Amino acid sequence: MLRMRLTKGMLMLPILVYTAFSAGPYLWTAIMSLRTTDEIYRSHYGLPIPAHWGKFYVAWTEFGYDVYFRNSAIVAVAAVILITIVGAMAGFGFARKRYAFPLRQPLFLLIFLSVMFPPQIMILSLFQILIQLKLFNTLPGLILVYVATEMPITIYLLRAFFAQIPQELEDAARIDGCTDWTMFWRVMFPIALPAVATTFILDFIYFWNEFLYAVVFITQQEIRTLPLAIQFLVSDQYQDIGMLATGLMIATLPILIMYLFLSEWFVKGMTAGAVKG
Amino acid sequence: MPSIAVDQIEVTEAPPAVKVRKLFRSPQPRRPWGPIAMFLCPALFFYFTFIIYPVLVTFFNSFHILRQDLGLTYQFVGLQHFKEILTSDEVFWKAAGNSLTWAIVAPIIDMPLALALALVLHAKVPLARFFRTVWFTPLLMSYPVVGVIWLWVYNYDWGMANLVLRAIGLERYAEAWLANPATALPALILVTTWMFTGFHMVILLTALHTIPQEYLEAATVDGANRWQRTFRIVIPLLRPTLVNLIILDFIGKMKQFALVWVMTRGGPMRGTETVATYVIKRAFEWKTLDLGYPSAIAVIWFIIIFGLSFVLMRFLQRREALEF
Repeated sequence: MLRMRLTKGMLMLPILVYTAFSAGPYLWTAIMSLRTTDEIYRSHYGLPIPAHWGKFYVAWTEFGYDVYFRNSAIVAVAAVILITIVGAMAGFGFARKRYAFPLRQPLFLLIFLSVMFPPQIMILSLFQILIQLKLFNTLPGLILVYVATEMPITIYLLRAFFAQIPQELEDAARIDGCTDWTMFWRVMFPIALPAVATTFILDFIYFWNEFLYAVVFITQQEIRTLPLAIQFLVSDQYQDIGMLATGLMIATLPILIMYLFLSEWFVKGMTAGAVKG
Repeated sequence: MPSIAVDQIEVTEAPPAVKVRKLFRSPQPRRPWGPIAMFLCPALFFYFTFIIYPVLVTFFNSFHILRQDLGLTYQFVGLQHFKEILTSDEVFWKAAGNSLTWAIVAPIIDMPLALALALVLHAKVPLARFFRTVWFTPLLMSYPVVGVIWLWVYNYDWGMANLVLRAIGLERYAEAWLANPATALPALILVTTWMFTGFHMVILLTALHTIPQEYLEAATVDGANRWQRTFRIVIPLLRPTLVNLIILDFIGKMKQFALVWVMTRGGPMRGTETVATYVIKRAFEWKTLDLGYPSAIAVIWFIIIFGLSFVLMRFLQRREALEF
């Protein structure tokens, strides 16, 4: 018994060291977000006493985070709704035997393969295409690109789920008079909700955090998303550490608070994309 | 043509719906092209317009000079870009070396660390769920957020990295981590380890849970101790998962852009330049204003990523086949 306690104790040491490494930098930033830059320069590791909660209000109203947050929210919400509808329909169409046609399998393989494409192979021509479509430097342009880039992984994951739904269910629904359209929305989509939730989370976090396409396709300040704004703030006013720390909290807290309550779903969603490069 | 038959029925006989239904139930049902198009076309529209078409355009552009200041007019140059990149572009080779270093070193650090953590958590330590939740968190933050936080961690005067070194009496190793060309790339690699280890750990932990308990019991009966069970049974059974994660990690690091862009912009002295940052710089920051040349770099890198991933897959899976 004692020996077992001892081994458990020895296992705890690397766990605690890694936990400090893993959580330390973010906790430090969280503490700085409640302190003024002056306080931080006097001591970088002081506690937030008194805590300046008002900094969040100042960041929101005076440093443009209300605009950046709104832009990020618009892009992420619009893109995730669009990709969930379009991706689920395609996943269903690729999965069921009824919709088989010649070349469906090769087409699906091509889509699956493109999960591995590096963004560089598309980004310069997308820049060119968006200019031609007059969608460069607009949020709708960014949304369309986001939906397309997450489409392969979303279709791949949802197809796998729809393929498992037994044929009898489909037959029963058809006998009850369902058309293909109502069958999908009234029967199949509700059954697939757990799988849809995983891709929803995976896609939403990707859209909320995406940086490469945003940095190339958005050059106007008024339509910057949060990741973009943070990159500009760190190069513009690097000295205002306190306010930047507050901004980092504004950018991460919505996701992290949801994660706190739905951590199982988040872990499931993020690791479902493990086929993604 | 069956569709003509349907039309004729609808025109000549009533009620048409019944007849159409009958056609559907005939012994050789037709393909329901309507629903197929309805379900697949929206997704295929996105896929072909914003992925396949751009990829083809990039290949096409790589044989041209495409000046942004001249209204993106095309001037055909054949294989000139490719020749220049492969024979005389020192920045490309430096960037390729950095990207490849990142892609090789990161899995070598990430996988043993993630595996060790997964095994420790699997040993039923208290609060395992709490630790798992904490370790996974960095993955949920964007690269700019992570980049800013780690700019502070690596600050010479007051950053956490030097603070820890000074606290344990190693102050002579304190370093301006991102300003020194020798330490900048390793410093960035450590940041991606911080981000992704929790993710790898969770996937390995899930795989650990699927190992049948009987295997381990049988080994115990045969007299295998804890270490032997771990190295002879558990790790070989995890091999397919590990191979997947290694390839995934490798590809991810070959594409690395955002962290470099936020933290070092490729400096100091191109010590952290990656192929991805070089492509973007070459397209939008160089005076050439040419989209053709960076497209050619992208094409070369695309082929290298696919080639090396394929080789890696072959190599790792063949060894696996030999062992079992």
